[in-house]
Amino acid sequence: MKKNRTLLLAFLFLLSLVIPSVVISLRDAGSNDGYVGAETCRGCHKDRYESYLISNHAKKAIPGSPANKYACETCHGPGMAHVQKGGGRGTGMFSFVNQPDADQKSSRCLSCHQDSRAISFWNMSRHKVNGISCDKCHSIHSGMTKNLRAREPALCSACHLSIRAQLNKQSHHPLKEGLMKCTQCHAQHGEFGSKMIKADTVNELCYKCHAEKRGPFMWQHPPVEENCLTCHVPHGSNHTKLLTSRPPLLCQKCHDATQHPGNICTNFETFKGSAISGKNRMFARGCLNCHSNIHGGMGPSTRGQHFVR
Amino acid sequence: MKRLIISSILIFSIASFSVALAEDDKLSGEVSATGTLTSVGGNKAKFNEYRDVRDGVYGDVKLKYESEQNYVDLNAQDMGYDTQRYSIRGGMWGDFKFDLNYDELPHNITYDAKTFYSGAGSANLTYPTHPPSTDTNTWNTFDYSTKRKNLSGGFQVDTLKPFFFDVSASSEKKAGIYPLGVAGTTPGGIDIELPAPIDYRTDSVNMAAGYIRNPLRLSLGYTYGSFSNSNLNLNFRNPATANTASATDTFTMPPDNHYYKVNLLGSLRLPYNSKLDMKLATGSSKSDANLLTSYVADVPGGLRNIALSKPNFNGQIDSRNLAMSLTSKPFTFLDGRLFVKYDETENKSDQITITDPTQSPSAFTNPLFDYRKVKIGGELGFRLPAKFYLNTTYSYGTINRKRDDIPENRDYTYGAELKWKGLDFMAARIGYERLDRKADFNTPGGGTSDIEYFIRRFDAARKYQDTYKASLDFFLMENLNFSLGYRYKETNYPDTTLGLTGERHDEFYVDADYLIGEWIRLFAFFDYERIRQDQFQRQTASTVDPTLPPTSTSFNWTAFQKDESYGYTIGADIFIIKGKLTLRLQHSYLESNGSVDYTYLLGGNPLPAGRTQDNIDISNLDDYKLRYYLIKLTYNVTKDSSVAVGYAYEKYIYDDAQYNGYQYVPGTSGTNGAYLTGAYSDPSYESHVVFVTVSYRF
Repeated sequence: MKKNRTLLLAFLFLLSLVIPSVVISLRDAGSNDGYVGAETCRGCHKDRYESYLISNHAKKAIPGSPANKYACETCHGPGMAHVQKGGGRGTGMFSFVNQPDADQKSSRCLSCHQDSRAISFWNMSRHKVNGISCDKCHSIHSGMTKNLRAREPALCSACHLSIRAQLNKQSHHPLKEGLMKCTQCHAQHGEFGSKMIKADTVNELCYKCHAEKRGPFMWQHPPVEENCLTCHVPHGSNHTKLLTSRPPLLCQKCHDATQHPGNICTNFETFKGSAISGKNRMFARGCLNCHSNIHGGMGPSTRGQHFVR
Repeated sequence: MKRLIISSILIFSIASFSVALAEDDKLSGEVSATGTLTSVGGNKAKFNEYRDVRDGVYGDVKLKYESEQNYVDLNAQDMGYDTQRYSIRGGMWGDFKFDLNYDELPHNITYDAKTFYSGAGSANLTYPTHPPSTDTNTWNTFDYSTKRKNLSGGFQVDTLKPFFFDVSASSEKKAGIYPLGVAGTTPGGIDIELPAPIDYRTDSVNMAAGYIRNPLRLSLGYTYGSFSNSNLNLNFRNPATANTASATDTFTMPPDNHYYKVNLLGSLRLPYNSKLDMKLATGSSKSDANLLTSYVADVPGGLRNIALSKPNFNGQIDSRNLAMSLTSKPFTFLDGRLFVKYDETENKSDQITITDPTQSPSAFTNPLFDYRKVKIGGELGFRLPAKFYLNTTYSYGTINRKRDDIPENRDYTYGAELKWKGLDFMAARIGYERLDRKADFNTPGGGTSDIEYFIRRFDAARKYQDTYKASLDFFLMENLNFSLGYRYKETNYPDTTLGLTGERHDEFYVDADYLIGEWIRLFAFFDYERIRQDQFQRQTASTVDPTLPPTSTSFNWTAFQKDESYGYTIGADIFIIKGKLTLRLQHSYLESNGSVDYTYLLGGNPLPAGRTQDNIDISNLDDYKLRYYLIKLTYNVTKDSSVAVGYAYEKYIYDDAQYNGYQYVPGTSGTNGAYLTGAYSDPSYESHVVFVTVSYRF
């Protein structure tokens, strides 16, 4: 009985939270005073009107689209005062170009798109926190897919300048070649985890394309299992395979032991060096010359344990 | 198969368009053809690492049909080439959407690699007589290259709004040859590079169904994935063992696996401009493999038998994830977020006890790794007077992992970022973040006589990490944008004696874009990055304590690795005849300089013969320079048609101590020995590409 009462109280509490939201959303449906119609807008803003016509916003078949509401004025607000004052700035129209407040701009879009599952988590988006509004990436008037202002990765790298630099490095995922997109890995409209990745963990994300690394393996390499980014960078590196540094130095960060892992490998251990032993730990791919199953394996005995079979 | 897929897509698209056109609605599109003439000197694989640029004609087609009720888009790109991509997207406005895609992704690594093995790219590598020939002129050539072919599609139903249903599926095949390396004998001995087969198939299905209407979202999602490998073992004749003729060595390849995940997503809008979001997920990945009961060794018969507690391995790792977030903006001057994130893996795989009399101890078992991570935190943003905005963050996280050395971490992270938009022509931002990671270290039983006592592995070691960043964006005129930024990250590992002791990371970038009148758009960017990583290590055969005086065989050493790179692009779009004739000029340059400063800490002991503290250093570690020039003239013949002609020059120069002086067989025995194949060697190239593109829009 006591448990039931607790559940009832919890339900009532949730209901008390939901009802005001519903009331507010219904109240926001608003009235239709002060609208002049799209034809009036067209009279002065012919280019903008025509670009609106080719966008999805002009599709009447889309329920709730501006075409089914007040066309231009759905987003820009009622135009009566603007028309009566002969146009120009400061006449009450909502301009996405001149409005500095990102939240206000985005809220215009969200008033229709808030029920879209693609932007359910916009409130958690780093873009929102950093004052990026929808119109930074989307053009209301564009005819491009998803009304984007540019294609990826150019669209993203226009702001993420350090990522652009990394994508240009010699070892990179094929984004600049157009064979991958930033949004394959990142949920641009918000996600729960850091960097808004489209998975619960980094490894889960990487396994989507690199499923052979998933295992589960008999011989595991713990840092690999915990986070691919222990050894790799996601966007670009000077070192092949997007490594954070070059084997053997990468491996020696962790592996110092009484056998060869702790040995100093220098210029003398390269192909051109004159060392009398230990060179095949340094030249070419370093440790990976032998330890190819570094992501885990099923090999026999210590051969498997040390990732060489 | 590829032809079948492409044919299906084309037939489906033509059928779709036929149906569509019957309704006499709007059809638009673009057809373009690009003819290229190329000249590539040097490494053609690196030049075409992720592309397929060669002499020929590339065709792109875009078709777009729209009616009042439905739409279909067809895109075909690089038709017939290794980078070809096809997609059809369509649907009925507001009711449903579908997409069907096929694309190919090449990854070219090294062409004309060499091996003494026959059967490169197969699961059985052999050679006729032992020892194999060291004359590489007699070896077989092959290409290290893989290609992914991905067929995917999806369907989204919106017609029952506010209920929705999404389903998508993909099937990807990856095939080719990839370099793998094995130790000929172990410990010590030569290494052997094997041209290994890649023949993978990865299938996945995603489904989600739910309800979404303000203020509530609830959905249930399901993901299933499977991976299958046609080659579970790579058999090879091992030239390092005397019994090579009678025993075949085996390298184990990735096992087949499958995976599923179920997730529940929920969101609830709350009063005071607040929202509660939640995600609950559970999943499992499984694999299985038959285990080998012997391995190749220098023993009579060539095989050393081992005993296993179980002949096959069944892997299973379960995962559980929970994420909750409460965001709120109760006042215009205040917003905030509280969050919890929990990620757990539970390793339920088999533990196999292996008995190998040659090892000490002779019986050993595979450890099972898993972890549990919890992170809670919050952030508060304050809109301050004079158009300042301050965002503060704090989080606390714990990581518990099944690992001998460092089983637990506690992370304390706090930071602040101040933004200012007080001037119409400028925005400024400064930020700071501090991570204080505490680590529980399990002191080994052997104390200072065990080298593990001194090692702290950087991924879990105690550390302080400070990150500073600053950026300025200028909008000096309507047509001039100018941005610059700087980021500095410093990490110190105070408990580490042996291992990575510190890292410094500087990053600086500038970006500018200027439209002069209506005639010229100038654009430029520059970036600079410097990474320094410091290691303190010990080389020893016996005495492990780094605080003891050095001897000629047991001593400490340091390595300071530096990666310095910078790049820039400058260019101009010159609108010679506005809207009609445009000239693009562009130049890009990228340079990377890597080096390692080694130091022997030998005290009074002499360095090994011939070595000094200076001549051991490496001054060229993954050094490269990339020069790129582009000149392109575009002429819009009519409103709907255009012609572009251009020339691109690219030169890539690679210089690396570990690859310079490359030898296929530097030795046939000992730890200087190897049988290599040329993988990744000498990737330098120079290319000239002339192209003409004709486009027609309708």
